[in-house]
Amino acid sequence: MRRREFLKVAATSATGAVLFAGCGRIGDGVPETEFKIAQPVHTPNDWVYGRDAWFATAAPPDQGGYGLIVRVFEGRAKKVDGNPDFPGIAGKSDARAQALVQELYHPDRIAGPQRAASRGSGQFQQISWDSALQEVAQVLRENGGDRAVLITGRPSSSQAAIINAFRQATGIRHAILEPDEFVVLRTAMQRLFGTSMLPYPDLGNAPFLLNFSADFLHGWIAPVALARAYGEFRQGRPGKRGLYYHVGPRLSATAANADRWFPITPGTEGLVALAIANVLLTEGSIPADTFRPYLTALGIDETRLTSEFTPERAAETSGLNAEQIREIAHALVEHQPAVVIAGTSAAAATNGFFNLVACFGLNLLLSNLNQPGGLLLNPDPPLAELRVPQDAVLSERQWAELFEQVRAGSISTVLVYRANPVYSLPPAVGATDALRAAQHVVSFSPFFDETTQLADFVLPDLAWLEQWGLQVPDPGPGYATVAIQQPVVQPFVDGRAFGDVLIQLAQQLGHALPWGSQEEATKALAVQLRRLSGGSVPGANDKEFLVHLQAQGGWWSEQLRGSATTPATRITSPRGPEFIGDTSQYPSVLLPYPSHTLGYGELAHLPWLQGLPEPISTNVWQTWLEVAPRTADELGLTTEDVVRLTTPQGTVELPVYVNPAAQPGVIAIPFGQGHTAYGRYAEGRGVNPLTVVAPQTDPDTGTLAWSATRCRIEKTGRRMRLARFEGNVPAFQLEEFPIVRVMAPSA
Amino acid sequence: MPRWGMVIDLDRCIGCEACVVACQAENNVPINTEDVYHQRRAIAWIRVERYWEGEYPNIKARYIPVPCMQCTNAPCEPVCPVYATYHTTEGINMQVYNRCIGTRYCAVNCHWHVRFFNFWEPKWPDSLKNQLNPDVTVRSRGVMEKCNFCVHRIVKAEQKAKVEKRALRTDEVTTACAQACPTNAIVFGDLDDPNSAVSKLLAQAEQEGRVYRLLEDLGTDPKVYYLKKIDVAAAAEPAATH
Repeated sequence: MRRREFLKVAATSATGAVLFAGCGRIGDGVPETEFKIAQPVHTPNDWVYGRDAWFATAAPPDQGGYGLIVRVFEGRAKKVDGNPDFPGIAGKSDARAQALVQELYHPDRIAGPQRAASRGSGQFQQISWDSALQEVAQVLRENGGDRAVLITGRPSSSQAAIINAFRQATGIRHAILEPDEFVVLRTAMQRLFGTSMLPYPDLGNAPFLLNFSADFLHGWIAPVALARAYGEFRQGRPGKRGLYYHVGPRLSATAANADRWFPITPGTEGLVALAIANVLLTEGSIPADTFRPYLTALGIDETRLTSEFTPERAAETSGLNAEQIREIAHALVEHQPAVVIAGTSAAAATNGFFNLVACFGLNLLLSNLNQPGGLLLNPDPPLAELRVPQDAVLSERQWAELFEQVRAGSISTVLVYRANPVYSLPPAVGATDALRAAQHVVSFSPFFDETTQLADFVLPDLAWLEQWGLQVPDPGPGYATVAIQQPVVQPFVDGRAFGDVLIQLAQQLGHALPWGSQEEATKALAVQLRRLSGGSVPGANDKEFLVHLQAQGGWWSEQLRGSATTPATRITSPRGPEFIGDTSQYPSVLLPYPSHTLGYGELAHLPWLQGLPEPISTNVWQTWLEVAPRTADELGLTTEDVVRLTTPQGTVELPVYVNPAAQPGVIAIPFGQGHTAYGRYAEGRGVNPLTVVAPQTDPDTGTLAWSATRCRIEKTGRRMRLARFEGNVPAFQLEEFPIVRVMAPSA
Repeated sequence: MPRWGMVIDLDRCIGCEACVVACQAENNVPINTEDVYHQRRAIAWIRVERYWEGEYPNIKARYIPVPCMQCTNAPCEPVCPVYATYHTTEGINMQVYNRCIGTRYCAVNCHWHVRFFNFWEPKWPDSLKNQLNPDVTVRSRGVMEKCNFCVHRIVKAEQKAKVEKRALRTDEVTTACAQACPTNAIVFGDLDDPNSAVSKLLAQAEQEGRVYRLLEDLGTDPKVYYLKKIDVAAAAEPAATH
């Protein structure tokens, strides 16, 4: 209501009140309290009356898969928050979850099924679902079985069940595209502990955390659960404050929260871990028999550990000094039960697998597996159907082989669901050429991303908040946990859930999958949970169970816990990282890092996340290079100077951010931008670092070693304005008012 | 009657900015586009400041979330010629959008830079308007806006309590930022209720010598309290290695 309208209404009401009062007392027959109106300045004048409904659902698997609640008002989802009942997160969420509503209402969502006018033209025409399904079924009839491949991102647990049934019925191969660091991590877990489920560091009970490069507070595996546990670790126990040491090449936002940061040369995490083990062994601070499984996993013996992997030797390559390595080892012993984690760039070196085995293996020495304050192993999903097949997750080397088969014609049809290989894999893998060469490409993406642009048919999936599903958080909190995903709103576009489409395609091909829809599959699988022991959901019958499950948002059983097996398999010998590029030509190491909001670029389409300052540089909406002040001085660079970055793989031009915490000799660059499609908020901004990363792999896993490229930068003489938060508000230095309390570690 | 306040424990804060997006979602804060940042006109009712201490390799990046301080003696209030900014009986420094004429005196007088001026009509693509919170006004061009401790949530909780004929329960209501904060660094509640989480936290942190307020010496009596981040390493930094 505008001011003028308000005055009119007020004048009319006042007149009416006087007239009404003349006929009797105001409020006759009406309770007095109804006339107590809210203070107008206190209540917005466009206040809308209605009822809120809160629905429980689940976060996507790549965001942790935990329980969410969504506020829905008159049929519109308004706000996403963490489910207060859900284990591990206790009602907490993060920026990525909050932004899920923007996916739902995104202006560039695909409105309905499309057919390309001609492939690659970017021109599509809307078609009906009936004809889309018929045509795609016809394609699969002619080119199905082993001549087709279904590429997906990490599916939800119930989608995995549908995909598996579809794969068994049709013979079509399933390939999962996950960030390579998680492929390395799962392989390392398999080798060390006999499970591909990710472990959960029990920070809430740990006195000490040693982290090798993992960005665990900002995007790595389960940021909400780990951040919540971190809060407890620091200030959740009266009189006890957890101590956190970070060993890694970049002061990430996670490293910035550490009590001590030890900057090292990228990829030397494993050598530092071995040197720590060396100190523990030679000083006899840990029983000698606990070393056996660790040495077995690494394929070395005691003599080799004590003679070759000394702190002095590690100091030569890592950039730390031997005293610092001893100091870390002593801290591990002093603050028992300590917990050790590793990831992100540690997994993305040419020795990534060795790094993770050597670092996570320290937990074996500390005997902290499944102990309070230690590393909690998670059980497999409580139902076999909910298992995401780990053998379907391909490494970079396997992707190259797969796309070679597509180019050669042995695979003619490519189906893609919520994966974007054209953007997410390095150009050398050849995804673009392969998709151009394929006879048929079908995309199920709800957005026109780079891969979907190359599709013949687009059968758009529903938004995450419009679907049914079951989701096993990975990592869980150390025991069996399942979140239920339920649609919180009616679909806004003419899309269909991917599971529904697979079931309908199978029907067209003459196969009956066990369920009629994704909803049916979700419910059928969910009621099976009722028969398992110790579940948290009451229910005298299946119907009642489902009602409680949906209200509670999930099912969990503390009785079903993970267990470890003893490592038996030997791995290749421990080794340091290798880098592509001659030191004389390329003096620096290029260190990409996943964005804390955009991840590897999969969330670049959401404007809230684009506009959220990167926690270290505070830059937004762009790609930049982080350069150390010393390097900047040598080259005469200041922030916003555009430089030419050259690697053996290629050249890009980007603005510089002079980062006072950057390590000299390391040039950091964030992932996330460089989209040529994917909607108005993602398209045409920044650079995808994969275009300049050499296609170097870790020989143990075949995964891309994206931190193994050397580079050089040269001044171009141009400048470019970087959008950033820093400097938006003037800073004041008030030396006389300390806002940080300095105290001894033991205090 | 409650006296609303907030405690932000910097030893828990990780700089993740979940609070920032939660606030944007709850309070219909417009999208901060690249252009807006270039013009230094980004609107964030709560922002996370990062500041540096020391030099590489002994360098620290510190984080500090900054919402409106909700000063008891707010310098922004007396300068408003039209009484658009005023103090509620529950201690919240409120902004009446349809009274504001955009003089921006309040912003000039705010030492914490937590008041934001709408230089343009807020814009969203039509479909994204579906997400707007119906409890919160969309501010038009020419008015100031700021954090108000999610007053619509407080009003709603108070009305609910009234309908149920009971007093507001301790910690029954919280702000969007505090609700989202994954580390529990932000806690909201009634400073006058000794059983509230904020009062208990403050009492404990006072003993530890961790409580302070931003620019406290100005005497405005802010109702946002910070608990000092703890630094265990400053006394024993490692020797430089590079």
